[in-house]
Amino acid sequence: MFEPRIRIDRELHRQVEEVARQAGYSSVEEFVTHLLEKAVADARQSQSEQDVRQRLKGLGYIE
Amino acid sequence: MIVVVTGLPRSGTSLMMQMLHAGGFPVLCDDQRPADDSNPAGYFEFEPIRRIDRDQSWLALAEGKAVKVVSPLLRYLPASQDYRLIFMARDLRETLRSQKTMLIRRGIDDGLNDSAMADHFSRHLTEIRQWIRKQDRFTVLDCDYARLVADPASGVDSVCDFLGVPLGRQAMRDVIRPELYRQRSEPEQ
Repeated sequence: MFEPRIRIDRELHRQVEEVARQAGYSSVEEFVTHLLEKAVADARQSQSEQDVRQRLKGLGYIE
Repeated sequence: MIVVVTGLPRSGTSLMMQMLHAGGFPVLCDDQRPADDSNPAGYFEFEPIRRIDRDQSWLALAEGKAVKVVSPLLRYLPASQDYRLIFMARDLRETLRSQKTMLIRRGIDDGLNDSAMADHFSRHLTEIRQWIRKQDRFTVLDCDYARLVADPASGVDSVCDFLGVPLGRQAMRDVIRPELYRQRSEPEQ
């Protein structure tokens, strides 16, 4: 089974490597996975809050 | 003491406000949202709560009274006060169906998917309950809507015990009308 791969700019990869090492991550993969998980969770949370607000507005509970 | 009746929209918060009112507990509400087909006995809402995210100046008016604040707005309650929360719980499928019916009556299609809303509200309830537990200012009574309708006497007793004030229990029981429990889910097998 092949794992998905993502291409990024070589210079950006070098910087990611440096930041990951400074932040104490054991690998670039671990660092990037953590960042992506957080980004996905934040986006979902934001969408969720937006939908709840829209529902409250429709039901007349907020302006 | 400020009593906050909370829960998701369409989880029985209006019924609880109506019960408190019938029992003689002062409620903070106005006539901005009159009774309609979705809430034939009235909403018992206070218009300024709709702006609670930017204006809490009404709070002084709530002292010694019960006020309805739906759970997604609880975080806006000022931290300067202690609150007794009556947290209404209702089967999420029923709640969503009831919300949908109310939206249709209001002529609104918000385009939101039921399954996504179920996920959002489910996550919201978990998070808000965790948040409430971390706050010293809340004392909570959980009240299940279906159980309240099925056994009004026990429900009314638990509310009165929680508030610790003498209320007209019979009058509170009398406002619970099972025929208004219109979005019942079939019990799961």
